[in-house]
Amino acid sequence: MNLTPESKVLVQGITESPASTRAALMMKAYGTNVVAGVSPGRGGLDLEGIPIFDLVEEAVAAVGHIDTTVILVDAYWVLDAALEAIAAGIRQIAIVTEGVPPLDLVRLVRKAEATETLVIGPNSPGIIVPDKLLLGTHPKEFYTPGSIGVISRSSTLTYEVALELTEAGLGQSMAVCIGCDAIVGSSFMQWLQLLDEDDSTEAMVLIGEVGGWSEQAAASYIASAIDKPVVAYLAGRYAPKGPSLGHAGILISSRAAAQKAFGVKAQNKMAAFEEAEIPVATRPSEVPKLLKKLLKKK
Amino acid sequence: MDLLEYQAKSLFRQMAIPILPSQRIDKPADLKGLKIPYPVVLKSQVRAGGRGRAGGIKFVENTIDAVAAAQTIFNLPIENEYPQVLLAEAKYNADQELYLAVLLDPIARRPVLLGSRQGGMDVEGSIDKMQQVAVDQEFSPFYARRLMLKMGLQGDLIQSVSTIVEKMYRLFVEKDLDLVEINPLGISPTGELMALDGKVTANDDALGRHPDLAALSGKRQSSGLAGDRRNPYVGDDRRNSNSKAQQSPSQFDPKSQSPISNSESLQLIELDGNIGILCNGVGLTMATLDAVAHQGGKPANFVNMGSLDRYDGANALRDRTELGLELVAQDKSVKVILVNILGSASKSEEITAAVAGYLERKARANRHIQVVLRLVAIDADAVKKRLGQLPVQLASTLDEAVAQAVSGAK
Repeated sequence: MNLTPESKVLVQGITESPASTRAALMMKAYGTNVVAGVSPGRGGLDLEGIPIFDLVEEAVAAVGHIDTTVILVDAYWVLDAALEAIAAGIRQIAIVTEGVPPLDLVRLVRKAEATETLVIGPNSPGIIVPDKLLLGTHPKEFYTPGSIGVISRSSTLTYEVALELTEAGLGQSMAVCIGCDAIVGSSFMQWLQLLDEDDSTEAMVLIGEVGGWSEQAAASYIASAIDKPVVAYLAGRYAPKGPSLGHAGILISSRAAAQKAFGVKAQNKMAAFEEAEIPVATRPSEVPKLLKKLLKKK
Repeated sequence: MDLLEYQAKSLFRQMAIPILPSQRIDKPADLKGLKIPYPVVLKSQVRAGGRGRAGGIKFVENTIDAVAAAQTIFNLPIENEYPQVLLAEAKYNADQELYLAVLLDPIARRPVLLGSRQGGMDVEGSIDKMQQVAVDQEFSPFYARRLMLKMGLQGDLIQSVSTIVEKMYRLFVEKDLDLVEINPLGISPTGELMALDGKVTANDDALGRHPDLAALSGKRQSSGLAGDRRNPYVGDDRRNSNSKAQQSPSQFDPKSQSPISNSESLQLIELDGNIGILCNGVGLTMATLDAVAHQGGKPANFVNMGSLDRYDGANALRDRTELGLELVAQDKSVKVILVNILGSASKSEEITAAVAGYLERKARANRHIQVVLRLVAIDADAVKKRLGQLPVQLASTLDEAVAQAVSGAK
């Protein structure tokens, strides 16, 4: 993982929409080393000093090895953009775009595993290393440097928790949103492990949803493999049932299929966290309190 | 999007998955022109499971019985859904019934094949007998054969049933589906296979590249199947009547359409309290609902505005926020609106302008409603100036905003 401020960053779809252009400029203004943009048909132009290319390989030829690409292209072009980046030797990919068809992700994940590429998103504001690096669209207002690692499956809820941490004097070593879609490129487990090994991270916050499958898998992983203190905040304790809320579920209308493939977990949806003895905050403002308690114990 | 059985079967036919001769029936009189010989099965075309137990499937021996049965089925709602279409199908005597499905496992991020020898109505009761095989690399028919052996099939059935699974998998990938299910797959005494019932769920995000599937969804909406949903847009507000694609499921029906894919629409979800909630993002919306409930308040409804980057044009965010306020406030039981929209400082300015504009209009129309506006990273004095005497309480944290909303709603 290379998330230093010097690491070279590409933006794919840099002139795709006003929002993607704004995102690229926001990253650059934050200090991210945005070395190039790609927008087919716009090669040769430049965006406030960022050279634009038609192909990723042209960008690599011009600026040398690129560490990370941030993908902002239209949902149906995300798979193509990511495969193009991998073919050009880029091994860290952050996908901001939402609404990517799940089977495109299946193909991308297979390719990423074979090439040891780290993929976050889709439907993610990306990664922020406060005051150092922004890969995506996290609004900078909520963050401050420190030693808490934040791993989340939600965009705005990450901002909410980060703000509570910031106000309580607990800065963040990094905040990553692995993506809000049903199928995402990397798992909670991968990021828990990455931050467990990261020297600048003292403790972690896991932000997810009550009863989520990946959240429950993460809980058992924390119990067995993570040394640093972890606090969880799970939204949806009082949320109404059904797909009206709840993340882009792959909505399986066949109960038989859902039961078998996803497993009907314990009645008590907090059970996985209780068993793993992970403190779960009842609301975002409780996260810093629980963290401080754990850090004191240490 | 869930397809109806007859739509699923037409996809099966395209893949050469064997199905019985059948005919679509739009009204009871259509049975007079039936081309399938009796006895025939009439099946209600609704999305709900358990149609047989609910009385939505009837065997008939002649035209008179068939017309009478069709009338009964057309008038029988199953889980609140009336069928618009029936399917008349030849009768089939299966010796054995299997369960087969292809779907995505979101944790493994791979398609999985499911299969059970206990197919038919009992499948849910014998989940422990269900076998699964993850397709962890590029699909090849051996994955299907692996499932066959796990299911305990033998002899010729290994090859013949795995060919069906292979076709299901191809359909799953070609059409970007969330689920392909055949239950049951009938096996006749001579070993002939027949997909007797099927379920196909299309992925909403992928509909844009499958015009054939998207057309099915259009047909469904114009056919009035959503007629039991009450239309909340009864006001004479100009903005409401101009906006498109809004929907409001009247309840948390697990089969209602996903609101996520259509970035143009704002969806109002109704609950039974007195605090209206306007948020952005699923996680934050859930957290806000939780905080209100935790504090002893009751949400009346909520609107999730989704990602603010969707609202790109001049004033787009402001207009959408005003529309969101209109939506949550149309319920007369709403005493307080809690606005918790997180974004950068520039977005907060647009949201403040929306709240001010909305309340000024309401004041002119003599509708008084309290707003709690949660704002982060913004110059509070400038906001206060902009809001003047309007009934808005400002809060900088979620807890503070929730406390104000709950006490205001008492």
